[in-house]
Amino acid sequence: MNSRAGFALLLTMVLGSALSVIYVKHQSRVLFADLRGVQKQQDRQVIQWGRLQLQNTTLAAHSNVESRARKDLKMRLPENVELVRLQ
Amino acid sequence: MKRKDKMQGQDAPTVFFSTRHYFVLLVLVALLGGLVARALYLQVVEHSFLADQGGQRQIRTIETPAYRGAILDRFGTPLAISTPVDSVWVNPAEILGNLDALKQVTRKLDLNYRDTVAMLKQRASREFVYLKRQLEPELARSAAAGIEGVYLQREYNRYYPAGEVVSHLVGFTDIDDQGQEGLELVYQDWLRAQPGERRVIRNRRGEVIEELDQVKPAESGNDIYTSIDMRLQYIAYRSLARAIKFHAARAGSAVLLDARSGEILAIVNQPSYNPNRRTTMSADQQRNRALTDVFEPGSTIKPFTLAAAMDRGRYHRGSNIDTSPGYMMVSGHAIKDFRNYGVLDLAGILRKSSNVGASRIAMSLEKQELWESFKDYGFGEASGVSFPGESAGYLRHYSQWQPLDHATMAFGYGMSLSITQLARAYALIANQGRLVDLSLLRKEPVVATKNQISRHVMKAATARQLISMMAEVVGPEGSAQLAAIDGYQVAGKTGTAKKSIAGGYQKDDYVSVFAGIAPASNPRLVMAVVIDEPTQNGYYGGVVAAPVFQEVVSNALRILDIAPDDLPTLASNKDQGA
Repeated sequence: MNSRAGFALLLTMVLGSALSVIYVKHQSRVLFADLRGVQKQQDRQVIQWGRLQLQNTTLAAHSNVESRARKDLKMRLPENVELVRLQ
Repeated sequence: MKRKDKMQGQDAPTVFFSTRHYFVLLVLVALLGGLVARALYLQVVEHSFLADQGGQRQIRTIETPAYRGAILDRFGTPLAISTPVDSVWVNPAEILGNLDALKQVTRKLDLNYRDTVAMLKQRASREFVYLKRQLEPELARSAAAGIEGVYLQREYNRYYPAGEVVSHLVGFTDIDDQGQEGLELVYQDWLRAQPGERRVIRNRRGEVIEELDQVKPAESGNDIYTSIDMRLQYIAYRSLARAIKFHAARAGSAVLLDARSGEILAIVNQPSYNPNRRTTMSADQQRNRALTDVFEPGSTIKPFTLAAAMDRGRYHRGSNIDTSPGYMMVSGHAIKDFRNYGVLDLAGILRKSSNVGASRIAMSLEKQELWESFKDYGFGEASGVSFPGESAGYLRHYSQWQPLDHATMAFGYGMSLSITQLARAYALIANQGRLVDLSLLRKEPVVATKNQISRHVMKAATARQLISMMAEVVGPEGSAQLAAIDGYQVAGKTGTAKKSIAGGYQKDDYVSVFAGIAPASNPRLVMAVVIDEPTQNGYYGGVVAAPVFQEVVSNALRILDIAPDDLPTLASNKDQGA
């Protein structure tokens, strides 16, 4: 009786363990696929970040800002006579 | 227990044993036979299928990409960043079997199809041939997508958005991402990326389907925040370049410091180069002259000669020195002034830049005293930044001074220093006598004010008097009126030195220098400018170098929101205008 119960118990445990190995393996595959997806997304975003940084630097280059301000917006430094002291 | 007893009762033990023995033997042989059959089956019948499977599910060690750190200005504007690019490569044996696909790829990559085929046939024995290198990742990906035998390799391209404006400081890397010059070289270990390695199982299409383990983690490089303010750097670069052109000069440098913290806000040189296109670069363009090149500073040293005497209580601001008849003889050589200025006080010596006056003061000190003071002011000593090729300048030991050296040292001949060292010495005056180590890296505000590494090398009262005397140099009677900035008090000193060559001084080659402090009432900025061999439109420091100071510092004061300290002149200008 004892040994039979022990055998049944072991069998159940072996089967349970086998099934959980299958389940965990499946989970690991799914999660790995997710990870790859996220890594690819990260990679894309890093590339875009680099491109945006460069774009930002090019557009905000001081020479560019200065010429836009002077030519397009007709800006200039105020003369001293135009300065008003507020305090 | 019951059953066992029953069996033992029915059968003779020996007979039972032999039957059981044969039974076990049979089972074992059957199992062995099964294994052999299975092995045969796998080796012979299933072989090609399994080999195929093995080929498809390969275990490979692949590189995990890592980025080299960026070099940034003090506000995070990138000066050097690594951006990912993809190179497209093929295995000729694979792709030549699928010419339709190759045609498609060449069209997308804008390559000539026939040339490509010819090129690949020539290299058919190889397994790795680049089709096109360093492409926009998206373009490369769309070209290679879904086509067998076409692969991508991730690479990094170092890009310098600020180009020639800051190239001397930042330097550049070689094709293997090793720093070769400038900060890229100094901080190579800090910036360096270490690609990781991991073992993965890949399928036939080269896609990773399972990761086994990480052999080595990827370590991206660290970023560097420099002390540079790109806004000021740009203005300084543009202004210096303009002056070099206008005066047809050979070269020039300028350094702008935050007087309190010793941070270098701008450091520019001419001629320069574009680090993104280095094919035509010469060694002459590459040097960071502001740190590596030394020159004789000329009259810009006079304030320090005066300081050495004032600190020892020999002279004060109002002390009178007779400079007539406008020259003096020292061991057979004449030290001359521009003209005979007669009796001058110390402020007058600076204002008129009298060589005779400065020499008289220097000669009233022992050689050793003058040498010790100059040493204390940081001449002949590295400025605290770490930069390849940085020069510490040259100050001879007083025991080797001839009497003439003793006299000419007073106005900056017989010693040499870099423009950065000169700026550091002026920062010492601006800092009420504290000599600060300079830095090319951004300092945390707390560190900058509280844990400042500095030495007190000049009396605060002396420094204050020097500033007020140097303010007169920029004033209406001084030699540097072009350095004056509306609304601010500026203190500074010009210098015009003949260039020394082996055995003497060159007749017509000059170095024009200006160093200044603003605002004089509460110093925040120090700038030093040197222009080498100006040949047109004048050569005096007050004409050549001072306007660069004026343009850069007036913009810097506005950009940094530093309050004007000379509002009366603003008001009087207003009255004139109204």
